[in-house]
Amino acid sequence: MKKDELIANVGVIVFFSFMLVQATELKFVRRFGDMGSGFWPIMVLSGATFLSLLVLIFNTRKYLKEKKTRAGEPQEPERSPQEIKERRMKLILSVVCLLIYILIMPYIGFVLSTFFYVLAFILALGERRRWVLAISPFLVTAMAVAVFGRFITMPLPRGVDTFAAFSRIFY
Amino acid sequence: MLEHYLTAFATILLPQNLLAICLGGLWGLLAGALPGISTSMGVVLLLPFTYAMSPIGAFTILVAAYCGGITGGSITSILFGIPGEPSSVPTVIEGHSLAKQGHAAYALWVFLFCSIGGGIFSVLVMMAATPVIANFALRFGPPEYFALTILGLSVVSGLSGGSILKGVIACFFGIFLATMGTDGITGHERFTFGTTILLGGINFVTAMVGMLAVSEIFIEAQEPFQEYKGAAGYSGMKTKTEFPKFSLFRQNWFNLLRSSCIGTVVGALPGAGATIASFLAYGEAARSSKQPEKFGNGAIDGLMASESANNASTGGSMTILLSLGIPGSNTTAMLVAAFMIHGLQPGPLLLTTRPDIIYGIFVAMLLANIFLLGLTIGGIRLFLLLNKLPYSVFSAAIMILCTIGAFGISNNMDELYLMFAFGVIGYFMRKYGYPVAPAVLGLVLGDLAELSLRRSLLLSFGSPLILVTRPISVVLLAGALVSIVYPLLKKPKILQDAG
Repeated sequence: MKKDELIANVGVIVFFSFMLVQATELKFVRRFGDMGSGFWPIMVLSGATFLSLLVLIFNTRKYLKEKKTRAGEPQEPERSPQEIKERRMKLILSVVCLLIYILIMPYIGFVLSTFFYVLAFILALGERRRWVLAISPFLVTAMAVAVFGRFITMPLPRGVDTFAAFSRIFY
Repeated sequence: MLEHYLTAFATILLPQNLLAICLGGLWGLLAGALPGISTSMGVVLLLPFTYAMSPIGAFTILVAAYCGGITGGSITSILFGIPGEPSSVPTVIEGHSLAKQGHAAYALWVFLFCSIGGGIFSVLVMMAATPVIANFALRFGPPEYFALTILGLSVVSGLSGGSILKGVIACFFGIFLATMGTDGITGHERFTFGTTILLGGINFVTAMVGMLAVSEIFIEAQEPFQEYKGAAGYSGMKTKTEFPKFSLFRQNWFNLLRSSCIGTVVGALPGAGATIASFLAYGEAARSSKQPEKFGNGAIDGLMASESANNASTGGSMTILLSLGIPGSNTTAMLVAAFMIHGLQPGPLLLTTRPDIIYGIFVAMLLANIFLLGLTIGGIRLFLLLNKLPYSVFSAAIMILCTIGAFGISNNMDELYLMFAFGVIGYFMRKYGYPVAPAVLGLVLGDLAELSLRRSLLLSFGSPLILVTRPISVVLLAGALVSIVYPLLKKPKILQDAG
């Protein structure tokens, strides 16, 4: 049991409690027998908050117990700090790549954004082989445009101004 | 009924639908065989392709992918000793042992015949049972529907993995997500926070793609995927000496029949599914085997039992989905979303209003199982080749599919922002041990549960006793209670051993 898991448990309780407060403002009863809009969310969120509290209690007890038994024993980290840092960086980069991809897509269009996204994403995942970096953005983009833009004729985002004109070459 | 079957055969045998079976089956086999993609994720990734298809074409490709995914999980189990799906663990124990002894092709042939046999058996049971159950379910009113959704939600105990408590919390989260948007009875806005994005509620597909697929890619980015190593020798399936003799199946007919029955029945039970089915059948085969000492070292009857039950669970699960509208597993929850995308509500009424869809699904599943025989033989080399593809490129391609899938729901960028948000939520849920499958299930069934409960209370002028005074409702609620409590009290010994 790690400290960040306890923090996550607290976060879950805060989330459900906040939503529960919001749900209490939804009590609209219009006719006899109707429980109103807030009835079901209040039931669900109350259950979720209660169970989250239980999880927090169990985890806190487990954490304290483990802390007691571990006291005095030298602790060996499962992974080196360097490795942890590298993995975290890969995750952050892959999340940021996706975020930028969906944010710029309406402006530069699907073709260009997908091309740059594939390149950036595989680089973020640690791919360094030149042939993979050179071929895959073209290949993945071409396949996506061919299948979805041309074959299924899905109205994929084209972008604005010059980018829209560029996208129209493909679909 | 015969007329419906003839029409369904005529429809499914159209070239475009046969192509859909082949493509869906291949994609399913690939999803099952490749690490990082599960059967349910394979079905979710296929959903965007079905937007522009006719409903029958869409379900043909989706059910073929479902059957293919269950079958595909065993290929890597036998050749690499890595279960593509949790239900393939007994196959790893026996199939991979056989492969290591130099009988990879023999194990693959046996797995293939048993898997297809189990699948066809369960489809035949499904064809017979669905109309009977659906006719019975036509008597259901709002209280029965509420009890039914609670029975459906009780599968959470089977989908929770490690902590059932966290699984229930995840399920509550899903039900909460289903309450977002405009209230179906009063028309009031709920949890929209003044935004228009959430006004129409949260789309299943967006949430599924985000929580199941996008979060999986984030997890893989952080925990690098381990490439297959130590593959057993495989030189192809054309060697005559490795082809199993008919006498093997004749000697094991009872084992095959029993395992197929276990698979079909367990597959139909909420909270059970392919994993428990294959373990139960495997355990039963070990118990009744004349050579129990062989189990764990390449027992062919163990492989036959687990594979028959594994694939037979698909028919059982689909029977409950088509007759009652309740998903019995993670993958059938994705199929509920597919029904809704095409403007259909799965359940007993569908058999009356759209028999072409139901009978079409029967025939498509039957043909998919037959086609899978050829597809697997032809596809094994392709899957082995694809396993050598750089995982980074594979992840990028999956992410593009996710993006297109979410965008295609309403051709709106808002869905992409929601997909991203659900991807991040799904990542944190997985990281801290909250399973995402129950959340998806809660999202799918939450709306129906709320509406049927509120309608029941309207009928009874606010008295909750209506839920426990109608016999069918009581039986269903008792079933839900057993489904939740039983796994807590008694986990099959073999599952405990498997960890």
